[in-house]
Amino acid sequence: MELTDWELVQQCQAGEMSAFQELVSRYQQKVYMVILGMLRNREDALEVAQETFFRAYRKISGFQGGSSFYTWIYRIAVNLAIDAQRRQKRNPLDFRETMDDLLESQDEAARDPFADLHDKELREKLVSAINDLTPEHKAVIVLRTIEGLSYKDIGEILGCSEGTVMSRLHYARKKLQDKLSAFL
Amino acid sequence: MNGCEDKIPSIERWLDGELSGAENDSLRSHVAVCAECSEAQRRLEKLQSTLKAALLSEAQRVDFAPFWRAVQLRVNEKRPWYQEALDSMRRALPAPRVAWVVPAVIVLLLAVVSLESYLPGWRGAGRNAFATVESIDAYGRNVALLREYDTKTTVIWLYQDQEGENEAAEETAPSGPAF
Repeated sequence: MELTDWELVQQCQAGEMSAFQELVSRYQQKVYMVILGMLRNREDALEVAQETFFRAYRKISGFQGGSSFYTWIYRIAVNLAIDAQRRQKRNPLDFRETMDDLLESQDEAARDPFADLHDKELREKLVSAINDLTPEHKAVIVLRTIEGLSYKDIGEILGCSEGTVMSRLHYARKKLQDKLSAFL
Repeated sequence: MNGCEDKIPSIERWLDGELSGAENDSLRSHVAVCAECSEAQRRLEKLQSTLKAALLSEAQRVDFAPFWRAVQLRVNEKRPWYQEALDSMRRALPAPRVAWVVPAVIVLLLAVVSLESYLPGWRGAGRNAFATVESIDAYGRNVALLREYDTKTTVIWLYQDQEGENEAAEETAPSGPAF
């Protein structure tokens, strides 16, 4: 029988490293997707995802189970991604291999992160439209899209009300639709 | 335009599963007969599926085997003692519990500093006297300070030590015929 997140957290608090490994394997992909959606850069997203789990491990002894593990881990991930994005904006020359670059490299189709999508133009526009959103708007749209989280959970992760989540989602979707109107 | 612009937020909440049962049914039946709302629903769904497919396709390409090893390496890394101490302090005093401490300490310090103005001489019995006199020797001149606590007056005297002068005069004066 599969252990719940909370049971794994408790084992981890008792010093079981394998329990933490299980938690990492459950959430690594989703955490990575959330961060990638916000940073659009593979290397940075992987780095921030690793930092997320490292911080989670360090703080796990203080995790009381007041919220679910996934809202807790996403909160760490989103905060780190927002910080990383602000650093990127301050040092634009530090950008390494961005998704835009990957999309432009025609000969590297296997490395194209959006290769499964049939419409390359739509993908390019989508990436560019997401980039124009603020970190907070990116966070709501990505959390809702990937995990299908409720407004309540998103509000808990971002530390804002459900009403704020709803209005941010509406704004982000409107912005994306305006930019992609020809493709949707 | 059928005037359904204001229904867009409701359609979003409906697709996000955030509407109650009655609202859900009512909107579903409206969308079924309204072309504009039906189109809005289609566009929202396409946006959602495109974004999800994009992120999923990227995540599926990543090999997560080295991911755990990298996390494990960092977890097992030996950290400097001061970072460990800082962390255990943070665990013991989580931010929400000590958030009030900083303003409280500031208020307490201000109260202590300003107490002297309201309660003169509160710090010790010696300070309860009507006045104190302090003298300072400055470059051969003497300065005396008289502080009166009741009237909050300070009087400064500058005077020369006559005895000292006389002694100096005696030392330099000729002590008699040298022959």
